[in-house]
Amino acid sequence: MLLDGLFAGGTYALMAAGMALILGVVKVINLSHGAFFTLGAYVAYALAGRGVQTPLAAAALAAVIAFAFGVFLGKSFVNPVRTHPFALPVGTLACALLFEAAAQRIWGPHPLSIEAGAPWIGPGGLVIRRWGVIAFLSSAALLGGLRWVLSARPGLPLRLIAEDEEIAGSLGMNVEAIRYLTFGGACAMAAAAGALLSPSGAVTPTMGRAPLLLSLVVVIVAGMDSVAAIFLLSIGLGIFGNACAWLLSPQWSYVAMLAAVCLLLSARPAGIVALAGRRD
Amino acid sequence: MTVRTGTFPRLRLRLLLIGFLHFFPPVFLAVPAFAASAQDALKIGVLAPLSGPYAAGGTSFVQAATLAVEQANAEGGVFGQRVTMVAADTQGRVDVAKSEALRLVSREKVSALVGAYLSEETVGVMEVAAAHRIVMIVPVAATAEITDKVRREYARYRYVFRVGYSLPQWAELIGAFLSDRKVRRYAFVGAGIRWNRELGEMLARIVAPRGIAPSYTAYYSPGNPAFDTVAVAAAAVSPDIVVLADPGRNSVSFLKRLREAAPGLPVLSIGGALGDARLAASIPLSAPVYVQAAAWRGVSPAATAYVEKYEHRYGAPPVGYSDTLPYEAVTVLVAAWRTAGSAASSAVVPVLEHGGFPGVAGTYRFDAAHQAHWGTGPGALRGTFVRWERDGSRIVFPPR
Repeated sequence: MLLDGLFAGGTYALMAAGMALILGVVKVINLSHGAFFTLGAYVAYALAGRGVQTPLAAAALAAVIAFAFGVFLGKSFVNPVRTHPFALPVGTLACALLFEAAAQRIWGPHPLSIEAGAPWIGPGGLVIRRWGVIAFLSSAALLGGLRWVLSARPGLPLRLIAEDEEIAGSLGMNVEAIRYLTFGGACAMAAAAGALLSPSGAVTPTMGRAPLLLSLVVVIVAGMDSVAAIFLLSIGLGIFGNACAWLLSPQWSYVAMLAAVCLLLSARPAGIVALAGRRD
Repeated sequence: MTVRTGTFPRLRLRLLLIGFLHFFPPVFLAVPAFAASAQDALKIGVLAPLSGPYAAGGTSFVQAATLAVEQANAEGGVFGQRVTMVAADTQGRVDVAKSEALRLVSREKVSALVGAYLSEETVGVMEVAAAHRIVMIVPVAATAEITDKVRREYARYRYVFRVGYSLPQWAELIGAFLSDRKVRRYAFVGAGIRWNRELGEMLARIVAPRGIAPSYTAYYSPGNPAFDTVAVAAAAVSPDIVVLADPGRNSVSFLKRLREAAPGLPVLSIGGALGDARLAASIPLSAPVYVQAAAWRGVSPAATAYVEKYEHRYGAPPVGYSDTLPYEAVTVLVAAWRTAGSAASSAVVPVLEHGGFPGVAGTYRFDAAHQAHWGTGPGALRGTFVRWERDGSRIVFPPR
C-alpha cells in the first residue's frame, strides 16, 4: 500500500513539475495540463494496439507529440494572451474541453485498457507492480534531469526569466521563444506521466482532470522553487491518501488530503519551501 | 509583455473564439444530431449523460435507443407516422436533467420520455413527467423510490413505468447467482453513489436467509477512488467473490488492483462497465470475471439479432445493461403506441398497465407499481450472467 502511494505520487510529481515550470517561467496557470496527461495515455493505448507494450517507448513518443502541440499552443495562444489574467485560465480550460471532446469523438467515451502485465513477487510475498516500478524510476530519472538542467548553465535563461523578464530581454535572450519552448517541455512532461501511468487504470477522455487538480495542489503547497520538494510532496500525498483510506475510509482520503493541504497553507501561505524575502 | 492597441481587435476575436469553443464543443462534437425532421413525426425525448463521468454509459444508452427508433421506422413507423428521437445531455446532474426534460416536453413537444440514467436524475425527471402528464419509461435507474412513488401517489405518477430491474429485484438476481456459485462470503465494493449503497444493503438482507453474508463492504469516491487500500482490504478477508458495483471507468482500475492483490479471486461486475468486449482483451483473467446483463448474445434469437445489429452499427457488441435496457424501453413504448392506436398518455397508460410487450430479454409486464417483472419466479425476466474468457464470453447463469 505504501509502495503504491510511492509509485503513483512519484509519477504525478512529473506532471506537477511541468505545471510548476509553466507557472515559474511563463507565469500562467495552464488548465490544459490534464489534457496532455490524457494525450499521453491515448498514445500508449495506440502503441499497445500495435504491439508496442513498452511504457518507456510510449512515454517518449507521447512527449514528442505533446511537445509539438505545446509549442504550437504556447506560441499561438499563451504568449499573446498571457498578460490578461482571466483570459488564459479560461482559454486553456477551453483547450482542455476541446481536447476531451475530440478524444471522445476519436476513441469514444467508453473506457479503454492497456494490459498491465503480471506483478513481481518480492520477498515475503510482497506484490510489486511492474508498471509502478517502471513509472516511478522513469519519473525520478526525468525529474533528476530537470533538476540538473535548472541548476546548471543550460537552465540559466529559465531561472533568469523566472526572476526578471526585462533583465533577461535586455541581455539579448529571446524571452518569447524560451517561454513557448518551456510550455512545450512542460506539456511533454505531463504526456510522459500519462503514458507511464496508463496501464494502471482505464484510459478515458476525462482521465486528466484528477491529476490536474492534484498537480495544482502540489505546486501550490510545494512552491515553484524546488523540484525535490515537488517530488517529495507528491509522494507524501500519495502515501498519506492511501494511509487515510486504510485507517479511516476510502471516501475520506480525499477530504483528509485536502484538509492537510489547507493546514499546511495556513501555516506557510507561500508554500512549504518558498524562501521568504527572496525577492525585493 | 504589453498589448499594443493595434493588436486588440485580433485579441478580442481570439477571446471570442475561445469563448465559443469553451461553450459549444460538447454540443457540436459530443451530442449526436437526432433532431426531428418531419412535422408529423412522433417524438421520443431521450435523457442520458453524454458528457461528464457517465458519458460512456450515456452514449451507449442513446445509441441503443436510436437503434430501436430505426427498427420501429423500418417496421413502418407508428400508425403511419415516423418515429423520431431528440436526445438531451443530462451531464449526470439532477438540475440539468430536470431542465432538459422540461425543454423536451415544452419546446420539442415530445410524446414520451425515456431516461434518465442515474437514480437521482430519474427521480427529478419524474416530477416533470408527472406535471405534464407524459409517459416516461425508465430503463436503468434502479432506486426503489421510483416505483414507491407510483404506488403511493398513483394518480400523480401513473405515467412512469420502469423496464429495468428495481433494487430488490436486482439483489434477488444477484443472490440467485451467488447461490448457484455456492458463495458463502462476498465482498461488496463500488463507487459511492446512491444506488450502490442501497443495493449493497438490499443484497445483504436478501441473501442472509440463504446463509450468504458480506465479509467486507466499501464505497470509494468516484472522484478520488482509493483503489489500493480497498483492493488490499477486500482481498485480505478472503471472500469467495467480490461484487464490483461501478458503472464507470473505475471498475477497470479496481479490477487491475484487485488482481494484483489476489490473482485468484473471482469478480462479479454489475452496472455494465466490464461488459464491454473491447476491455475484455486487456483485463486480467487469472480468475473468473463475471458480468451481469439484462440480455446477451445467445440467450434468445431476439437477443442475438439485437446484439448483431448493434455490433454491425456501432462496431462493438452492447454491454448488456446501459444499452440493452434503453433499447427495450423504446421498443416497449412503440409497441404500446401501436396497441393504443394513439400516443396520448390517457390511451397509452392503460395499455402499458395491462399488456405484454416482447423485448430481447423476454416479455415485459408491469405490476401495480409499474415495475417490470424481473426475478427468479415463473414468467419473470431473469437476466443473464456471463463469464469472460480470452476468446469471448460464456453464459453461466441462469442454467439453460
